[in-house]
Amino acid sequence: MIQASGLIRRYGGREAVRDVTFSVAPGEVVGFLGPNGAGKSTTMRLLLGLLRPHGGTASIDGNAGYLPEQFAAYDALSVRSYLRFIARMKAIEGDDIERVLGAAGVADLGDRPVARLSKGQRQRVGMAQALLGRPGAYVLDEPTQGLDPKQVVETRGLIRSLATADGAAVLLSTHLLAEVAAMCDRVIVIVRGRIVADEPLGDMDDLEARFLRLVGESELA
Amino acid sequence: MLWSSPIPYVVGALFHLALGMLFVDQLAVRRQAVIQPLFPLAGFLLLVMAPLLTMRSIAEEARTGTLDVLQAAGVRARPLVLGKWVAAWVTSLAVLAPALLFVLLLAWWGDPDPGPMIAGFVGLALFAATLTGLGVLASSLTSSQPVAAIVALFLALLFWFADVADDAPRAGSLLLRFSLRERLRSFASGALDTSDVAWFVLLVVATLVLAAQAVEGRKLR
Repeated sequence: MIQASGLIRRYGGREAVRDVTFSVAPGEVVGFLGPNGAGKSTTMRLLLGLLRPHGGTASIDGNAGYLPEQFAAYDALSVRSYLRFIARMKAIEGDDIERVLGAAGVADLGDRPVARLSKGQRQRVGMAQALLGRPGAYVLDEPTQGLDPKQVVETRGLIRSLATADGAAVLLSTHLLAEVAAMCDRVIVIVRGRIVADEPLGDMDDLEARFLRLVGESELA
Repeated sequence: MLWSSPIPYVVGALFHLALGMLFVDQLAVRRQAVIQPLFPLAGFLLLVMAPLLTMRSIAEEARTGTLDVLQAAGVRARPLVLGKWVAAWVTSLAVLAPALLFVLLLAWWGDPDPGPMIAGFVGLALFAATLTGLGVLASSLTSSQPVAAIVALFLALLFWFADVADDAPRAGSLLLRFSLRERLRSFASGALDTSDVAWFVLLVVATLVLAAQAVEGRKLR
């Protein structure tokens, strides 16, 4: 379970996140939508404890798999060594490396130095480290960024399976409405740090029109 | 990761080139096979070397975003800082290690007293521990490697030259206690004074506690 309750976060005098409340249940994939600078990444960092809120509470049951927007690893290490290092940091017992390499579609890149990976390959290594230890919750910041169309389809299938097969709670941010339509059970829209919609995907007839209307109304407000 | 970059190799080569020239010059002037001049020379060169070894430690992790991945994986600030300091200190000792060859050289030339040698190298090791502590602290305060190096160098110089004000009444005697140069001089003379050891240990602990607080403090920025 991922839970945010009345979250407030300010940068200087500006409120980047204002009274944000929502939850993501186990087995649910929730899309977190909003224009640039709306507060998506800040909310995610608050949930993970990477930022401290000025108000409200954030919690995640158990460990969380996290994929940041700009994923970076240690260039000098091979992919397998890097994953082994992160597994140690997560105190994961047993060898989970080969499973996550396969699940993230990077089984053939295990011995390659991180420095020699393309942007899309790095993103998939980032996904692999998030999968380590089969966490009960995932916070994924634009997980298909930089992937080619085939990898996008594979990653969407993987994320969907995290909820359906593993029963994990998944919160993912994206700018692609098609991605939300393909993967998510529910959509949360955030504009100027405030949540303006939290609805099941099935209730939205035309996601694009609904999103643009919500953003437009909030920007004018 | 430090040894996968050229930094320790380049820094080590330049350190020993400079130390070798200065020490041999000192021996030529004194026309005596004594180790004592080595320690203040090595100490002063360490002032420059240590910031270069530590500048990446936390600043680079923060800049690239790998710090977020580590913290999301559950790595706490204190073990992170301690790990960074141990790595930097051990690296500085490894870079210093070839200076032991001067002992062989002196033994070949004459019959040097082993007491000052042992005490001097213990002093240098403690001095390196303090400088790497200051360096890790500086690196925890910024996301810029050059800024971290400059701040660390400034802090180190402040402690090194603290005794220059020893003419001033009251303040002088107080500042003399803070002087790293004076503490190192005490070791170089062959004295293993517990108050000097305690001072170095205290400084290391203080810098690491402050660095851990600075890492935690990033969540408030």
